[in-house]
Amino acid sequence: MSNNVLAKYRIVLGVIGDDIHVVGNRIIQLALEESGFHVFNLRTRNRPEHFCQAALEVNAHAVMVSSLNGEGEYWCSDFRQQFTNIGMGHTLLYVGGNIVVGNRRQEDVVKLFKQYGFDRVYHQKPDISATIADLCKDLKNG
Amino acid sequence: MAKPSINAKLQDITPYRQQILSQPLAQGISYQEVQDHLANLPRSRFPQTAYNNKGSSPLIQPRGGFSTFEAQLELTKQLYSAGADFIPLTIDSCTRQNQYDTAANLLQRSEEEEKDYLNGYPLITHGYEITRELYRNIDRPISLRHGTPDARLLVEVAIASGITEIEGGGICYCLPYSEGFPLDRSLLYWQYVDRICAEYSTKDAPIHRESFGPLSATLVPPAIAVAIQIIEALLAAEQGVTSFAVSFGQTGSMIQDLATAKVLRKLTRTYLNQFGFKAVQTYLVYHQWMGQFPPQREKAAALIVGSTIISSIISADKVVVKTVNEALGVPAAEVNAEATSTVQYVLERFRYGDIPTESLTSPQIERETALIESETKTILQTIFDLSGDAFWESVFRAFQLGYLDVPFSPHNDNANKLISMRDANGSIRILEKGNVPISDQDAEIEKSLLASKHNKSDKTYQQLLADINIMV
Repeated sequence: MSNNVLAKYRIVLGVIGDDIHVVGNRIIQLALEESGFHVFNLRTRNRPEHFCQAALEVNAHAVMVSSLNGEGEYWCSDFRQQFTNIGMGHTLLYVGGNIVVGNRRQEDVVKLFKQYGFDRVYHQKPDISATIADLCKDLKNG
Repeated sequence: MAKPSINAKLQDITPYRQQILSQPLAQGISYQEVQDHLANLPRSRFPQTAYNNKGSSPLIQPRGGFSTFEAQLELTKQLYSAGADFIPLTIDSCTRQNQYDTAANLLQRSEEEEKDYLNGYPLITHGYEITRELYRNIDRPISLRHGTPDARLLVEVAIASGITEIEGGGICYCLPYSEGFPLDRSLLYWQYVDRICAEYSTKDAPIHRESFGPLSATLVPPAIAVAIQIIEALLAAEQGVTSFAVSFGQTGSMIQDLATAKVLRKLTRTYLNQFGFKAVQTYLVYHQWMGQFPPQREKAAALIVGSTIISSIISADKVVVKTVNEALGVPAAEVNAEATSTVQYVLERFRYGDIPTESLTSPQIERETALIESETKTILQTIFDLSGDAFWESVFRAFQLGYLDVPFSPHNDNANKLISMRDANGSIRILEKGNVPISDQDAEIEKSLLASKHNKSDKTYQQLLADINIMV
């Protein structure tokens, strides 16, 4: 997909919990923008409802949640439900970073967050270009 | 002009303290009782004793904090046995943001489910009485590691718990750790912290302060880090602190590490002496790589070994260690203890001896040292020349004007105009200086050194990502 096509896709991006790690967030914003997406960056210290409000406000196509300090597990358990409650249940939900505390098996973490309603889970997968490729595919398949 | 001065010392802080200590979470803390507790601690529990008795190698400081008392006790025992010279108490991020209710809820859940829902020890929730029990049989100093812009209550509880080293500062614990906490308030709250550290200090047993030099740990030009370290040493000295460590994080370039250590050590002393703080004892702390760590244990271990050797070569007084699981989240106690013994192993087997850092030089190191020193001096002089009634006000204005600008700080008050990248040998270079007042000549040197880099990627984010992930 070309940049012109991608510009119509609105992506809400942010870090969840009291996590203040902003570096990955900045880089993801830059990468998405350089790929042509329209990015709304909530930056750090967000609750699930902040993502819901922003997604509703801009009528987002996708929401990307990140966590580096592992708070994701605590905050994300009813993430999809909260989006459904406001009529945004169709939104693509992505989560990535270090999303749980401690050392856990990759497949267990992916399974857990899929149960929470996320479409894609990137636990300890630093390559953002793979995520962007998945995002293009998922948006195309609508 | 508002230069650092002993006249900036807060006078009677009693009413102020009563306000802090009247909070229910501070219940039971009495100045006299805490003073007695500190007086009864063995001198080996104070950083000054540890630094005075150290040999030629850097002292070893791990980090670590778990939600529950039991887990923290186990970690403390393991790190002690592994040979840590400083025992850490790392605080969870809810407490750092003064969200004590959330911290209490998550602690309760952690205890009930025997699983960690906090990324550190919620000290204020646990309280000082039980926390003293963590250290009943420990004869080494305890270090508070956090990232709290308003640490007034936290530090009261920490000192009451017998913790004698307080990391942080008004800049270094606000700019990298907070998005919206007002910087001026952070500077004032840290005046309070410095003041109570000074109040509880005695001549042979001072409460030691340490600044956090890595800042955002992401492409921070050494001159910015050095300037901020010196500012925080001066602000602490103004409040009567007599024992202070400046620090910096591994830059990713050995040349820059050597040069930064030389300039930081030299200029900290110069400026403290210049403003009448000759009596302040200073130390140099080196942080092992604070950026993105390789996820593979072998590479992480190699990185830890490499930076341990650098800490020795730069004659650091203390090295803050990482673990092989750094990329994977909060490390288990065993892994943390392993890291401590690995660093001890390396320091003992690769002794550098007492060769002064100054004698280790090359034209490249000399050029780098001269550049960092010149940039730092220009930045600091510009701040000293700002108008204002107090030095902290000049520091605050320096951020508003973008004279101090920390790359990748999440803070709203940070200018974000300075852009830095790595040159061909991995040194951090200033591509765009923004409003940072380095001379045109120094700015030209920075740019010309950056131009030597051949491997240019096509996209900005990829270039920055490659520079940030240099160790991965």
